[in-house]
Amino acid sequence: MSTDASHEVRLAADTAASRAPRNTDDAGQQPGHKGGPRRKGLSERNRPLWMLIPGGALMIIIIVVPLLLGIYMSVLNLDQYTLRKWISAPLIGAENFVEAVTDSPLLHAVWLSVSYSLLAMVVTLPLGVAAAVATQNAFKGRAVIRSIFLIPYVLPSFVVATVWRTMLQPGGIVDEALATVGIHVGLWLNGPQTFWTLVLVQIWASWPFIYLLALSGLQSVDHEVHEASALDGALWWNKLRYVVFPYLKGPLSLAFLIGMLHHINNFTLPFVLFGVPAPSDVEVLPILTYVTSFQSFRFGLSAAMAFISLVLIAIPLFVYLRAVKLDDADTPGGKK
Amino acid sequence: MRFKSTTGLAAVVTAAALALTGCGSGGSGSSGGSTNANGKVDGTGKTLNVLVGVQTQYPEQQKQWQSDIAAKFKAQTGADVKFETFASANDELTRIQTSVVSGQGPDIYGLGTTFTPTAYATKAFVTLSDDDWKAVGGKDRFNQAALGISGPDKDHMAGIPFVSRPFVMAYNKDLLAAAGIDKPATSWDELAAQAKKMTKGDTYGIATGYKDNYDPWKFIWAMSVQAGNPLVDGNKLKMDDPTVKKAYETYFGWLTNDKVVDPASVGWSNSNAVAAFASGKAGYLMMTTSSSIPTLDKSAVAGKYQYTVMPTIAPGETQSKSDAPAASILSGDNLVVADYSKQKDLAFAYINLITSKDEQLNYQKIFGDLPANAEALASLTDPKLKPVADAAAKSKATPFTGAWGDIQLGLLNVTVQSIPDLAAGKVDESALDQRIKDAQNKGQASLDRASKG
Amino acid sequence: MSTTTATRQGPATVQVDRPGSHRQHEVLRLLPGPLLVIVLVFLGALVLVPVLYIFLASVNSDIGVANGEFWPSTVTFENYSKIWTSVGLATGLTNSVLVAGATAVVSAALSVSTAFVLVRYTFRGRLSILRGLLALQSVPGTLMVLPVFVLFSSAATYLGIQVIGTQWGLFVTYLTFAMPFSTWVMVTYLRGLPKELEEAARIDGASNLGVLFRIILPLSWPGIVVSGIFAFLLGWNDVLFASVMTRPESQTAAVALQIFGASQEGGAIPYYGQMMAAALVCAAPVVILYLIFQRYLVGGLTAGGVK
Repeated sequence: MSTDASHEVRLAADTAASRAPRNTDDAGQQPGHKGGPRRKGLSERNRPLWMLIPGGALMIIIIVVPLLLGIYMSVLNLDQYTLRKWISAPLIGAENFVEAVTDSPLLHAVWLSVSYSLLAMVVTLPLGVAAAVATQNAFKGRAVIRSIFLIPYVLPSFVVATVWRTMLQPGGIVDEALATVGIHVGLWLNGPQTFWTLVLVQIWASWPFIYLLALSGLQSVDHEVHEASALDGALWWNKLRYVVFPYLKGPLSLAFLIGMLHHINNFTLPFVLFGVPAPSDVEVLPILTYVTSFQSFRFGLSAAMAFISLVLIAIPLFVYLRAVKLDDADTPGGKK
Repeated sequence: MRFKSTTGLAAVVTAAALALTGCGSGGSGSSGGSTNANGKVDGTGKTLNVLVGVQTQYPEQQKQWQSDIAAKFKAQTGADVKFETFASANDELTRIQTSVVSGQGPDIYGLGTTFTPTAYATKAFVTLSDDDWKAVGGKDRFNQAALGISGPDKDHMAGIPFVSRPFVMAYNKDLLAAAGIDKPATSWDELAAQAKKMTKGDTYGIATGYKDNYDPWKFIWAMSVQAGNPLVDGNKLKMDDPTVKKAYETYFGWLTNDKVVDPASVGWSNSNAVAAFASGKAGYLMMTTSSSIPTLDKSAVAGKYQYTVMPTIAPGETQSKSDAPAASILSGDNLVVADYSKQKDLAFAYINLITSKDEQLNYQKIFGDLPANAEALASLTDPKLKPVADAAAKSKATPFTGAWGDIQLGLLNVTVQSIPDLAAGKVDESALDQRIKDAQNKGQASLDRASKG
Repeated sequence: MSTTTATRQGPATVQVDRPGSHRQHEVLRLLPGPLLVIVLVFLGALVLVPVLYIFLASVNSDIGVANGEFWPSTVTFENYSKIWTSVGLATGLTNSVLVAGATAVVSAALSVSTAFVLVRYTFRGRLSILRGLLALQSVPGTLMVLPVFVLFSSAATYLGIQVIGTQWGLFVTYLTFAMPFSTWVMVTYLRGLPKELEEAARIDGASNLGVLFRIILPLSWPGIVVSGIFAFLLGWNDVLFASVMTRPESQTAAVALQIFGASQEGGAIPYYGQMMAAALVCAAPVVILYLIFQRYLVGGLTAGGVK
């Protein structure tokens, strides 16, 4: 790999990026900062903020209000004995929270959820990007391949889990296929390996999500950049790394974040794969909260658990947001 | 759902308002469709909502039955019946929970028997008064055994029995005969001994699924009860009793010591076990119901299998130490009427209709479930149903406590967490002790909350 | 292929290449040929082997599936005709298409305008809104079911609006849960769009709405399609909310499938074959929709760029 070539390519990419407009202003951090460049003046005049109202109202009514209701439930002694008159259920303050942290597998579940989500994400990212890059090349049948890649994401989780459960059962076709090449893995759906089963199936089900976002990111790569790097005779790897990938940073940072949250909140997959009570190696957060509220009928405790996990997840989320500057920086995918 | 009439809407609105503000009256049968002079309920223009479990094996027949019974009910009362179905016990719990909290939803729920205690604990369902019982046709019309899990005692019952679905075992007549066994086992020890005789090659004595979401706890419950331990004694959970451990050891022992079950069954659910039995590779199919008939009659064992009552003598014992044989949990469907319903009279009239002798016999003919109506049950003569009816008579109710859900989960969890050991061929005794102890502690905590609640 | 290339090319790039020419192909190529084949074959197999299994199971007997067969011992296609009555797939699919389709269209429309404001204008609280949108994504569904249900039932109680059991209730729920993510997809997309065109339009006297409709919208098709697809799939695949908020006549396909698939306590062998057949039938509309819409995924930029 020639360093000269990579240098050239990087230059080309830099030029493309520097020609990108400074789209975003940081009014959130510098309120009242006037007299900036001309463009800033434009964006502060005549702002159609009313356009935020429909979406905002919906989210407040359907997400924020129920969320507050849920948080209120977390300080109630709400179980099958008090459910019917839940508004007058006894207020017990932090008791549910104390029980959730000290006397339930909550922290273990948070750890399992986060590590499994992260592992699955680390594998799906390159898979999704590879698929997007590969189908960016025009070839016969590309439309069909692109649609085939979407299938795992299109099948309902319930079906995905049922199919994999059938294939992974002891003596099932996965075991038989592996046995023909002399590999005996043991149990997939019980015991310590369940964790890896969950990771594997999650990868299978969710890589098209990354693929879709990466594909949309690739579309914003300027044709001229392709031209420039082609003229430079850049190696494919350098072209990808220095020219194309910078355009993907925004979509992929978003994909990473949302994908993580989807994995963490995925209930159907572990539920159908392993059933309840789940083996302790896959007692992930949604399973734990589900069992607590719908099998043990401890709705207050379950709400407290969900709330704690929400907070625990929100902290790294904000650290991440700062680190990748997803919310306040230009993505390098600007067009001329 | 668009309400056909504003009355329906208004009824729901009012009911929901009552429940939401927590003012729902505990009384019953006081409101809704007016009763006219000849004792018939007039429900013209009203709609009754009924939530029942889906009949997985007979989807088309279920739809047909529903439209037939709705027509009959309409002729009788003038009211419409609308059916909704839930897929699984979990779906049902979700539906019950949301309905209870919001005070709106179906008027009548069909409940699996083991959920009746939980439903009763919510106080969101009508505890039937004497008049209410009269409205559904009188307590005497029902098979008295089936009333065993309708409420905590005789005067407080919320569950109206609809059908019985006792658990039995099926056996392959050819395999038993080939092994020189003239009649199926009646004790668990005998069962294991017979199973050993039938196990050779890829044929096993017993088919059962260790990964099933329900079966494992039923075995442990049955063996413990037969050994004289009812598991719940007042406010005390007795899972740390040696009988429970013995039950687990026996149940696991089929795989680890006796080697009479397919090693793959550590990953099976009940349906995989049915499939194994159906392909003729197992002597006994444990913990099944008459709902396996359609599958088995189309399979390789058609005509070669028979149902019989599961063993009633605990492992290591020579006779049952229980007050009842406990051949099966008391299993089937109960009907409960929602407390928020504004048309309880109509609901009772509907229940009266579907628990009548003729309707119960008709239902049995279509779906195979045993009638809860005593007269209907007595009139059954089909010899194939004899063992199933026997099992119904020898059933015992699981303890009636709101904590039962948790206890059941704990019993099941011991098996779930032991499966890796099972697959490895040996369940470590100290690990088993620890798992039982965990389940005991959690279940006891839940029982403590129940006694406070 | 040639049509896509032509759109991509557009008059903006004044090149001598003809669409589909060898050089044009080379320019866009991102991977060397052999590697491309390896990636496509690997990913294709990854997807297709389980899908093949689903298909084979759908023509197999239920006992065969329960016994772990890959190649069916008996082949029958009757499952594909049975599912229409047994699963109630027709009603389910109609409802799913209605609800998920409406969710996709409305959420795409709302998220374009929301993202437009968030990207192009500055105001107090802009960052908080952006972060808040992501934070809302982390709210677990299992926590929300009960409160949302209570909220909707209160709507019936106090406002007399019957929401539960209607397609409207589902639509509003999915729309709201799809909005944060759709908006973010559009935000990242709009950031990449050139600003010069808007400025030119403004100099010509275009209003905010004018800019949105005449400049932003034509440029944003790839983003709109992607955010629409996600919103669509959210509604298409959800079971959690749909199972408590629908009645038989408003049931979505996913719920119908789940109800059919989940066998009951002590039941015998589930109808695997019909379930797999139904799953494939359910997946088909989405794959076809994607086939139709995928051409908008490419070339939106250059196609609208110079008009």
